[in-house]
Amino acid sequence: MDHSKFNVLGKATQRKDSVAKVTGSERYSIDIQLPRMIYGRILSSPYAHARIKGVDVQDAEAMGAVCITFDDIPHVRYNERIITIPSVLHKDHFILADKVRRMAEAVAAVAAETEALAEKAVRAIKVEYEPLPVLIDPFQAMQSGAEPIYDTILWGEEEIQVENNIACSRQVEEGDVDQAFAEADVIVEGTFKTPKIYHAQMEPKSVVCRPESDGGLTIWPTTQSIHNVRILLGEIFNIPLSKVNVKRVPIGGTFGSSIQMNSVIPICAALALKARRPVKLTLTREEDMHDHTRYGTWIALKLAAKKDGTLLGAKMELVADIGAHNIQPYSFLGVCVGWLVSLYKLPNVRYRGTAVYTNKAPSCAMQGFGNPQVTFAAETLMDELAEKLGTDSLELRLKNYIGLGDTFWGQGPLVRSIVQSDGVPELLRQGAEIIDWENRPKPGSQSGRFRRGVGLARGFHTSSAGAPQPGDVIDFSGAMVKVNQDGSVDVITALMDHGGGTLDALAKIAAEALCVPLEKVNLAPAETRSTVYDCVTHATRGVYAGGGAVLKAAEGVRQELLETAAHYLNVMPDALTLKLDKQQSQGVVYAPSIPEKRMTISEIATRCWTESWKTIATVESYRPVNCPPAYVTVFVEVEVDTWTGEVRTKRAAMGSDCGTVINPDMAVGQLEGGLSKGMGYALCECNQWEPDGQIASRGYWVDAKTPAIGETPYVQDIHSYFADSYEPSGPFGAKGIGEAATNPVAAAYANAVYNAINIRFYELPITPEVILKAVEEKGQSK
Amino acid sequence: MQPKMITLTVNGRKHQVALNPDETLLNALRQLNYTDVKNGCEKGDCGACAVLLNGKAVNSCLVLAWQADGSEILTNAGLGTMDNPHPIQEAFADAGAAQCGYCTPGMIISAKALLDQNPHPSEEEIREAISGNLCRCTGYAQIITAIQIAAERIAASALVGSGQGGKQ
Repeated sequence: MDHSKFNVLGKATQRKDSVAKVTGSERYSIDIQLPRMIYGRILSSPYAHARIKGVDVQDAEAMGAVCITFDDIPHVRYNERIITIPSVLHKDHFILADKVRRMAEAVAAVAAETEALAEKAVRAIKVEYEPLPVLIDPFQAMQSGAEPIYDTILWGEEEIQVENNIACSRQVEEGDVDQAFAEADVIVEGTFKTPKIYHAQMEPKSVVCRPESDGGLTIWPTTQSIHNVRILLGEIFNIPLSKVNVKRVPIGGTFGSSIQMNSVIPICAALALKARRPVKLTLTREEDMHDHTRYGTWIALKLAAKKDGTLLGAKMELVADIGAHNIQPYSFLGVCVGWLVSLYKLPNVRYRGTAVYTNKAPSCAMQGFGNPQVTFAAETLMDELAEKLGTDSLELRLKNYIGLGDTFWGQGPLVRSIVQSDGVPELLRQGAEIIDWENRPKPGSQSGRFRRGVGLARGFHTSSAGAPQPGDVIDFSGAMVKVNQDGSVDVITALMDHGGGTLDALAKIAAEALCVPLEKVNLAPAETRSTVYDCVTHATRGVYAGGGAVLKAAEGVRQELLETAAHYLNVMPDALTLKLDKQQSQGVVYAPSIPEKRMTISEIATRCWTESWKTIATVESYRPVNCPPAYVTVFVEVEVDTWTGEVRTKRAAMGSDCGTVINPDMAVGQLEGGLSKGMGYALCECNQWEPDGQIASRGYWVDAKTPAIGETPYVQDIHSYFADSYEPSGPFGAKGIGEAATNPVAAAYANAVYNAINIRFYELPITPEVILKAVEEKGQSK
Repeated sequence: MQPKMITLTVNGRKHQVALNPDETLLNALRQLNYTDVKNGCEKGDCGACAVLLNGKAVNSCLVLAWQADGSEILTNAGLGTMDNPHPIQEAFADAGAAQCGYCTPGMIISAKALLDQNPHPSEEEIREAISGNLCRCTGYAQIITAIQIAAERIAASALVGSGQGGKQ
């Protein structure tokens, strides 16, 4: 994409919140202090599965603490995530546990004058538990006779039975799968297992709630969606939404961990309503680790192909470990087959997905929402298929990938779009050159302690979940753009920026559309009562869909500027246009054929003001009708130490097709961050559950093996690059990047390790212990 | 045990506070409104709460407030202001090293401790210096670049500084 025609898009600029962030002035939810604020603590269950026989808060109340138990809360069952339409939403959650279903689940909560007193009070609460058998393995949980984690849940408003701890299941069949497999020359298959890892966002989940005199609430939460928090709180506490005001607060990382209304938010609201004082409630790191994780999966995948490498079809069975609560597994099961059939042309597919409750942390979206899991399986098998066929796996990928003009349904069977921008060939060719793909080692060709391997995987994520039809997932954004008297512009949107620079991208889109300097565009603080709805920052949709909304609003403002200037200048609106006057450092409306007919944006806005006419502003909602694939290819070169089992990253080439690159430095940051998180997923991160439902790390982050700098490749060894691409449906040609950057990374590592030591791994993480054991076994078998 | 009055000098400002013996320096500083000292894990795992204690970088969650009685503490907010950021802070902003920004104050403190001792660090030395600071957003590369830029800028301004000194 030629960026020279843009004023500000594609140029690296200091992000608008960077000075606040680097000087420590940024206030996160955990930093909010209010007058008369008191401190909340939850009583975390010491059991992973137990009936609650009684809760005695007398001693805690005697200390002056405000206490809530199951008896004090509205008995409304809800789902923490309301992106699925209400009629088909599964609801199994109460504010406080009716029965304990995971370790550290909140059974009661207190609020007191100091954090220390709150801690003391919570310890004084006596709970009588009746421990129940703990189910940590989904296959055991599905066996008949297994202890039921739920008897019934709600589906929409209907109460349904839960059989064999199966939360939901989904089957999809397209084409003629039996014929495809009968006609196949080659079939490859594998059973893959992926771990339920922790998001490891830096800021622990936190919230401040203030009760208002009108019976309402003001909330400062960690969240990816202020409007969904508002709707849920209104529903649970039966408060009119106009009296529930949720503030957008900078968030200290999320990666999906705050995609739903976090467990602390309604607990804190209940405490605040009872105490009639502002309350802050923050999870400890250990509690946070029990709160949410990525979906753990078992994936049995078969691919059928012809001799010439043409893929014919696939069969996939997937079991998802959803933990103790249903957050969005029905959608998860749908997108998992969507990821598969949108990676490669698989006209014939048979799929069955099963989501199973266990007594573990609830699974929620974590960067990719099933995509890293499925891509690990698919891209491993593509490598195996290439080897079986004696062909280059890069060429096999090029032959079969879903690209320009193809229909794809990454976000599930109901969300179909046609690919309109495709940088995949360019990404693959360029990456191959950087990593010297042609000269990669031959599998099995090396001996000695250190062995080098090169791995490739490609993937994508959808930019939003937009589609031509409404579907069963809510996806739209909104924005208001307003011109101030001095020609500066306010962009008002409820969209969250998780740190990737999404809001700066939106400011740039407004600046570009209105021909004003970026420094004249202000990102207004946001809260639910003064913004229009934005569903949530997820599905790699922030720039594409949130930016789409800002562009739509800015185009309305642009049109109004032209029409208003036409009135003042006595010129037809169609004769006018807008440009950036760099000398005046502002936007100017002028008639190219009569250059003296011109007004700056500030002159127009000022005259509208002094003549008591109007404010130039537009508010828009925007529903994306596509969800274009943001492609990423990953090449990694590793060195495997066969004495220690360690895998070192020697080089990585991360290529992205995100359409027009809006924030070049932050887009690179997304790729580098994606590499780090994908590497952790591939090689080290693992939440191990003990039979009693405790996590082996006991809340110690280092023991959960989040990658630190030591595991990270050297700066000069990471090559990030972008395809020359333009997405016709995106704002100024842009699409997403975030999750795409993580999705294929683990598969690339698994392929690189195979290339180095000639051993395939079908389970993540591929830890040093796993490698050592495999190397040893292989040596013994020889 | 009873609370004790202790003295903490934070970013040049003296505070006298009565604290219990089990209070961490992290909590003491945050209660004094130094919220730039971030609470990440309270277990010494993540480095978000790093401060300079008498010039040495420590995780403030692993120091009891009483241990810091009479000490000089420098937090990230003491390095620079929004109008006049410290060169390390400026370099973090310029290099895109702050994404969510939550690890940033601790990261900058580790960088400051390094550059105070070693104004021209190699990448290896930078990696060692921030090995106790977790960042989930960036993959660390832009953080390393920021520290390299900061080192260059500080060295360049020191040269200018000494040049001016020569003229006086």
